Amino acid sequence: MVDQYVIAAALAGVAWGALAGLFAHRWWYRKRAATQTQSALESQNTALAQAEARHAAEVRQLEQQAHELHALVDTLRDDLAQQTVSADEAREALNALHLQKDEWLQQATRLSTEAGRLRHLSATFERWHEQMISLMAQNHDMHAKNNELSSIVRHVLIVSLNASIEAARAGAAGRGFSIVASEVRALAARSQELSKSYHDSLNRNDLITTATFQDIQAGGKMIAASLASVEALAGQIQSWLEQATT
Amino acid sequence: MISQQAKDSIERIFLHSARTRLPVDSSDACEITALDSQQANTALASHIVVLTISSIAFRFLLVLHFNDDKATRDYFLRDSEERSLAEALMEVGNLCCGAINQQLVEFFPDLGMSTPYQLNGACVPYLTELKPGYLAAFRVSIGANVQLGATLCMCASSPVDFVAHVNEAEESTGELELF
Repeated sequence: MVDQYVIAAALAGVAWGALAGLFAHRWWYRKRAATQTQSALESQNTALAQAEARHAAEVRQLEQQAHELHALVDTLRDDLAQQTVSADEAREALNALHLQKDEWLQQATRLSTEAGRLRHLSATFERWHEQMISLMAQNHDMHAKNNELSSIVRHVLIVSLNASIEAARAGAAGRGFSIVASEVRALAARSQELSKSYHDSLNRNDLITTATFQDIQAGGKMIAASLASVEALAGQIQSWLEQATT
Repeated sequence: MISQQAKDSIERIFLHSARTRLPVDSSDACEITALDSQQANTALASHIVVLTISSIAFRFLLVLHFNDDKATRDYFLRDSEERSLAEALMEVGNLCCGAINQQLVEFFPDLGMSTPYQLNGACVPYLTELKPGYLAAFRVSIGANVQLGATLCMCASSPVDFVAHVNEAEESTGELELF
């Protein structure tokens, strides 16, 4: 009976020991689990803190970048505004140049047309040429008439000389006739001088008329050649401006 | 108003042009003798052919004197009966003056030349009426018995000064070099 009690007591002790061991084991296990959990939490906290710090750094960096981008945007906006102003000015200048170029083109066209028109001056020179030929023909005719007059005067001189001789032969009766013959001879001599002078004047007239006309004619050719050069140059400028317009 | 070196240049140009253009055949001898200045405004023959070169600054007259004699007719007309001696001399004068013009244009870009015109030799003394700054006369002998005369008359309205050198070495070939 005692043994039963002892055994029961031993069994009870074992049971209590087992229960105590179980509780102790549970307590240790929980404690270890808690420790592990805390350790994990601490590790996570650390990682979280690091992540936060990294994120904060990234945020700061992004804020810095955003700030820089804002500054860049502002700068670009200012630049754009300036470029817009410059573009407007350039456009105005270009428009002004276009207007000026159109004006130049008009001027070049006009210059070319005028130079081409002035080439017809040659017709005027031809008219002068014809008039000079006419004038020279008239001079030639006057030469012929003066030669005829000179021939008549020479004849009159001979006649007056013969008359003087005949008057001298007639003696006293021919005295009056001698005076008349002498007067006629004197008049014929004066006419001869006048004819010679007229002949000289005609020669002088021939030379001066010819020299003057030739100067006009040669000068006309010089002007025509110069106008042709001007016309060619104006044509070139016109062509360049037209090409630039297209 | 016309410098001495310009007068010398004109004379050189004329001599070269006359030697290369006046003879009908380039192998014909052509001797040119300068005459006394007092003869510059006298008729050297009974007929003349006048040509003018005009510029802005001056006008230049080339006067060719010729006689309508057998030797001259035989030389310039040869067997041609279709034209007169005056026409033949006007053509020759035109060639000679054209050569002068060609050389002068190197120095004076604005030049024009007239057509030739025939006048009586008695007109020559009146060249002085044009108030020339340069007047010179030459006797031109072509071949054995052809005699021509030439008078150069230059009237300037403003100073004329230039130097033209004719390359004598190339003159015989008819080429001209100005430098």
